[in-house]
Amino acid sequence: MPKDGVQSVVETFPGLDSFVAVAYEKSRGQVFGLTREQFDGILGEIARKYLPVDAAQSEIRELYTSLRVEELALARACALGHEHAWEVFLTRYREKLYDVAGYITKESSAARELADSIYAELYGTATRDGRRASKLASYTGRGSLEGWLRTVMAQEHINRYRRQRRLVSLDEETEEGIQFASAESEAAIAVDPRVEAAVDEVLVALPSEDRFVLASYFLDEQTLAEIARTLGVQESTIMRKLDKLAKSLRKQILASLGRRGMSRRQAQEALEVDVRDLRVNIRSRLAQETGGQAFSKKKAEAPAGDGS
Amino acid sequence: MTEIPKIVSQRLQALATLREHPDTNLLVAFTERSLGKREQVEVLQHLSQCKSCREIMSLSAIQPGIAAPVSPPASSQWLSWPVLRWGTAVACVVVVGAAVTLRHRQQSRPIAGVIAEGTPAAEIRVPAPDNATENKFASLQVPDTGPNTAVRAKEAVSRARMAPAEPAGGNQAAVSPGPVEMAEARTASSLADMVPGRAKDALAESQSAQAQPAIGASSEMKKMTAATSDAFIPETLIPRWTLSSDGTLQRSFDSGRTWQTISVTKQAIFRALSANGLDIWVGGAAGALFHSSDAGQHWAQVRPVVNGEALADDIIGVEFRDALHGKLTSSVEETWITGDAGQTWQKQ
Repeated sequence: MPKDGVQSVVETFPGLDSFVAVAYEKSRGQVFGLTREQFDGILGEIARKYLPVDAAQSEIRELYTSLRVEELALARACALGHEHAWEVFLTRYREKLYDVAGYITKESSAARELADSIYAELYGTATRDGRRASKLASYTGRGSLEGWLRTVMAQEHINRYRRQRRLVSLDEETEEGIQFASAESEAAIAVDPRVEAAVDEVLVALPSEDRFVLASYFLDEQTLAEIARTLGVQESTIMRKLDKLAKSLRKQILASLGRRGMSRRQAQEALEVDVRDLRVNIRSRLAQETGGQAFSKKKAEAPAGDGS
Repeated sequence: MTEIPKIVSQRLQALATLREHPDTNLLVAFTERSLGKREQVEVLQHLSQCKSCREIMSLSAIQPGIAAPVSPPASSQWLSWPVLRWGTAVACVVVVGAAVTLRHRQQSRPIAGVIAEGTPAAEIRVPAPDNATENKFASLQVPDTGPNTAVRAKEAVSRARMAPAEPAGGNQAAVSPGPVEMAEARTASSLADMVPGRAKDALAESQSAQAQPAIGASSEMKKMTAATSDAFIPETLIPRWTLSSDGTLQRSFDSGRTWQTISVTKQAIFRALSANGLDIWVGGAAGALFHSSDAGQHWAQVRPVVNGEALADDIIGVEFRDALHGKLTSSVEETWITGDAGQTWQKQ
């Protein structure tokens, strides 16, 4: 019997017992090999993870109502090693795992490798305290299991991509005998601190969604379609938002610079002429002249997924 | 698209503070819109400052052949408006009536629309009297009323899609996406940028299309009009694109289940593509660069020129973040940038 968790929640809120019973029924936990006790424990763990200790009964009920209990029961039954649950899981998701991996990596051997490694983590080839440690034990049913699998795979792919880039760069540069340049010192050109302060003031005041859209488009170079998909809106909505944001940012920054003692003309010049642009161009020209291209070219030609 | 000053981008990056990442479950729930308001705000706040999590969200949000999460409450709220419900019914009647009329007319004349010479119309799913292939688009086509059929057809579909909004005073911003638009969003979401960044190739599925004879290439810099004046590709069906290992361009209208080879020009070997909705750019050997703004029905060759010097190296990367702004990467590591859909270029 769990020492805390839903049992303690049920003790505090007796009305939740029947609610949880209904949830267990809906989850088909029994079919997957999950006992009511285990299911209660899982729900308690989820409540502790996402709600404060003094959460009201209504909040807990709302959380539990939003859970995908059937997928939760399936995933947790798999994590506990129930064979029938694995059969169901494989029937539903095995092919999708490989499809998703293929779609992410765009290369069949890398896709297979990615899918196989994720599958191993889901199955739980590692052990912890004598028990199989399955990644499925961390699924909490807040979103769909399919979406969770995609996200886990995306995370793993990105991690591998970054690791591979670091490995390739170090190995190749060592082989080529290229001397590493010392860290570039900051250029003597300083940006007017009023400009930075004004920009910071405006950016900090932006709503999170606006900053997300700006960062996604201008920093991550995502497409309008990608950003729209993440936020669940139309592409045209993002386009209009970006246009509006870019214009209002400029206006607000100019106003802020004005409050900081700059004339209108000075403020406009400060925004239009960024000396760091000039510095970057010079730097890139110098990089070309010192033969840094050879390595970059090799990096571009390295096949995707080649970790050797 | 209006740009922002570089100092703004730099401060945006600098202001990102390191915080504990939300767990995978919350990221998924955020994408599927199943978080409560408080958690939604918290996750969004984190995403606005965390590039890593944004990359993960972007990569995991777009998967072909897997139903994208749809928010049922939005559509049910939309449909609960009696006016919009009736508007949708009227729009459906218009579209079905148009389809019936088109089918009736087309039964009395042969279909001439093909992309490649000698290729049966079935390859591009154009309805033909002797075509046994099921026409998926029949219900969405509009009567061939003369020249500019494709343009008029698109307008008709646009009107049908917009019809639900009109009874509400034309306030399209208040209208949640209808079934047609959501289908478009789902198929549009299949245009994957698979890894972080904008320059990506769409994934090739396992089924390969039969090769089609190449269309005869016309002279450079003029539009190569495919003989598809009668072929109509509904706007609601955004295709997926891929490049085969031998450099041919392929297109799918059914989420990758089947693919058609698109012969843009003879002997072109393509190595990179960038697609945004109906807009697609493909680049390849010896500076070959082609653009279509109607999902591959018509193509125009584009020759990037800077200071009288044309791009002659192989194009190995194409990125277009919208209809106007794009960049090419050549095999000699030059970057060619345009801000006006390829009319003028700058080299880096």
